Amino acid sequence: MSWLHAARQRFRDLFAGERSDRDLAEEIAHHLELETERQMRDGLDRAAARAVAHVRFGNSTLITDAVRAERGNNLLEGAVQDLSWAVRSLRKNPGFTALSLLTLVLGIGACTIAFSVFNTVLLRPLPYRDADNLVFIRERNAKGDFRPPSFPNFVSWREQTRSFVGVAAAMFPYARTVAGSGDAEPERVPSLEVTKGFFSTLGVAPAVGREFNDTEHTPGRPRVAMVSYEFWRNRMGARQPLGTIRLGDNPTPVVGVLPPGFKFLQPADVYVPNEGNPGTVRSSHNYTVVARLRPGATLAAARAEMTTISRSLHAVYGTETEAVDADVRPLRDFIVANYRTLLSIIFAAATLVLLIACTNLVSAQLARGWHREREIVVRAALGASRARIARQLIVESTLLVLLGTGLAVVVAFGAIAGIKAVGGALIPRLSELSLDLRVLEFSVAIATLTALIVGIFPAVRLARRDAGQVLRAGRGGSSVRSTVWRALIGFEVALAVVLVIGSALLVRTLRNILSAETGFDSHGLVTAAITPAESDTARFDEVVTSLRALPGVEGVAFTSNLPLQWGNWSGPVRRPSDPKDRDWPAMAGFRVVSPDYFTVLRQPLLRGRAFTANDRVGAPGVAIITPGIAEKLWPGQDPIGKTIATNYLFNDWLTVVGVVAEASSWSMPHGTQNEIYVPLDQRSGSLGQQIIAVLRTEGRPDAVMSATRAKLHAIIPHSPAQIGTIDDRIAKSAADRRFAMLALTAFGVIAIVLAAVGIYGVMWYIVSTRTHEIGIRMALGATAGRVRQDVLSSAAAMAATGVLIGLAGGAYATRYLQASLYGVSRLDPRVYLIGTAVTLGVAVLAAYVPAWRSSRVDPMEAIRDT
Amino acid sequence: MDRSGDLLPGTFEMLVLKGVSLGEMHGWGIAERIERLSGGVCDIQQGTVYPVLQRLLRRGWVVAEWRVTENQRRARYYRLTAAGKRQLADEISWWRRAIGGVDRVLRAEPREA
Repeated sequence: MSWLHAARQRFRDLFAGERSDRDLAEEIAHHLELETERQMRDGLDRAAARAVAHVRFGNSTLITDAVRAERGNNLLEGAVQDLSWAVRSLRKNPGFTALSLLTLVLGIGACTIAFSVFNTVLLRPLPYRDADNLVFIRERNAKGDFRPPSFPNFVSWREQTRSFVGVAAAMFPYARTVAGSGDAEPERVPSLEVTKGFFSTLGVAPAVGREFNDTEHTPGRPRVAMVSYEFWRNRMGARQPLGTIRLGDNPTPVVGVLPPGFKFLQPADVYVPNEGNPGTVRSSHNYTVVARLRPGATLAAARAEMTTISRSLHAVYGTETEAVDADVRPLRDFIVANYRTLLSIIFAAATLVLLIACTNLVSAQLARGWHREREIVVRAALGASRARIARQLIVESTLLVLLGTGLAVVVAFGAIAGIKAVGGALIPRLSELSLDLRVLEFSVAIATLTALIVGIFPAVRLARRDAGQVLRAGRGGSSVRSTVWRALIGFEVALAVVLVIGSALLVRTLRNILSAETGFDSHGLVTAAITPAESDTARFDEVVTSLRALPGVEGVAFTSNLPLQWGNWSGPVRRPSDPKDRDWPAMAGFRVVSPDYFTVLRQPLLRGRAFTANDRVGAPGVAIITPGIAEKLWPGQDPIGKTIATNYLFNDWLTVVGVVAEASSWSMPHGTQNEIYVPLDQRSGSLGQQIIAVLRTEGRPDAVMSATRAKLHAIIPHSPAQIGTIDDRIAKSAADRRFAMLALTAFGVIAIVLAAVGIYGVMWYIVSTRTHEIGIRMALGATAGRVRQDVLSSAAAMAATGVLIGLAGGAYATRYLQASLYGVSRLDPRVYLIGTAVTLGVAVLAAYVPAWRSSRVDPMEAIRDT
Repeated sequence: MDRSGDLLPGTFEMLVLKGVSLGEMHGWGIAERIERLSGGVCDIQQGTVYPVLQRLLRRGWVVAEWRVTENQRRARYYRLTAAGKRQLADEISWWRRAIGGVDRVLRAEPREA
């Protein structure tokens, strides 16, 4: 019948846990009463008898816990019990709990945010239907470089390929002057010209209306447009029917509205059919080609077919096309490939932060274990098994980690908006940032891992301790061995050093990029791009006079392209002696500029003269070139007075009148950007869509920027200006580095703070355990300063080991950062010095309070209190 | 040599069983019995009988019941079950064998080795 009793007892206990607790309390009270009475019979007064009874009974809290522990090895009840023990234990130590939670939020939060960025940019499919079947196709030239395709090559591909269900192209996006309705104020918005079936190839259906039909793609047809959802809502009042917008000066019917958030590579507001007005030169490079793989077709087969087609085109057209092969790759790879390394580095950095957080928690648990050692040992003596004690400790740290993870996810959720705001313009796709199921799964996974690390290690260590040893040794005697502390502190300091080195390298990189030699003075240059009508050319002088009169403006010039912007117009250059259809001796970009351009930019004239007002229509055609062209065409000779031509833009011969220093940027290093400058007065017909006024300003450019907008609006009201600064453009060109730098610096700061907290905690613990020893030393004559210094130097010693490992780790880890650096070696000694100084400094600072406390030990008290 | 409270593992449980077997009793009484009967050798922390009693309850070797004492106070009385009796007999015979064995070893003369 014993099993029946046992079962009944268990059943009762399971559902009457609270009643059992009350019963036990009553039982203990009764016990104490009986013992008190006995002691009184032995002659003690009531108070003394009561005290003795308590001593003879032992610690009633621990006894109660032990009875509870005996009540159930029943899983459900055991868990409830462990949990309530854990909650009580965490509530008893609010300081420890708060600090642990903060640590967890920083560690897990950093990882969650880094992973959500990684996930959004690199892992999530692109927002098109069956996006994994979309590929990006580029030309490959004889040198092996990938180039954007020309329109005629795209058409040949589209006609001949069998691997795709759709091949479509878009011309490079550019800004257009658009008004949402007939009487609305016009503005410049990004626009994209697309070919037939562009949207259906991407698998995007218009939210309102329809895609362009074939008729609208025929030459000679009146233009129509599609608009973005955002433009339709904000500028057209979400009207239906869609009606017309004004495109430049022309009323243009709108046939469709794209779905919210749609974009191809870059956002655009207006889409127009391209095939009525396509590019015609096979060697130009200004289209983007996207295609959808036929179901069942493989990427490899598509590549092979595109190679065959490209070779046969090259055979037919010879030097007319530069393409000898085609590059076919998944669209997603093309969009994000450049960001994979940097985002992986950011993710790795977040992982280091999490590891530091774990290290802190492990050492905090161990240090706290010292305070709880007697409690744990008594529980063990009362019959709780080691496994059970370990389990309770694990439940406690798991609870802590769960709470921390919950908070971290909440914090990450809040941080998303901020990251979108900062990073949306820096990294493609980051504007789609959100926490999805995959991110939450990831957070749960790392939380589990954290709980295992933080829970099991201290639990095993503490549960293993020998009961007798602890009880006999009293408070001061037992401490976790100092090698463990050394290892933990060394580990987190090493990780922090790696992060500081990484972020210092990126900070230097960014600074180098912003101060990189450009060949002219970029600081204080303001640019204003406008789209003038034919008739506005006559008003350019008025624009110059009016802008020149603005306070803070020192000079104004015009150019066809923004400084440091290349690739719009470029092509082969030849001498009169070169045959027309052979390999060209030089390639160059073209730029139409006003006479003051070089003065305003402070771009040095190396030989000859700048343009003057005399270089106008009717006068002989002149050009100014960069030194690279001169060296290629006339090595060792004076280029002034020589003649050049290009089949591409101008058919007439131009006389070289000057050589000007090459403008280059950090990403287009010196020697790669040959340019031919021609005077605006002679070539205003070659301007293209837009012209840019460049203003040399003194002081802050902000005031000039808004004044410039107003002035231009007064003179050319139908073409709103796009205003910016060159330094901004340079900064934007390093956007990915800036994002990585911000992320790594944030993680570096968190790492340093966590390491400081860790060092502080460990030193505090060590000082607490050595009060006795310190007391004796001070009694023997050691001064407070001496004691303090010892604590500080032992902290520095612990940190120093970590710093050495961290320096080695940094030297290894930065190889992954190599490709993203500019103007700084990944082994730059100054950076490593900064890493060392910052970390050691923080370590000593963190140890200062415990050191101070150690020097305040009262020798008498310390020795007595053992 | 300080060996207070240094009992062989498992023996304390046996002593509590024995304490209960001497007649229905509450926790204090059981602790007091063990101290008194051991002549003060087993100087236990009294509270430790409660986790052991809980274990015995769960194994079905004792049952407990709230009753009113002669002083009109509520007390929880523990009583041995049949299974508890068998268990105690088993433990006592194990204990006798164990100390007999230990004792034989301790009495051994050099020539017996």
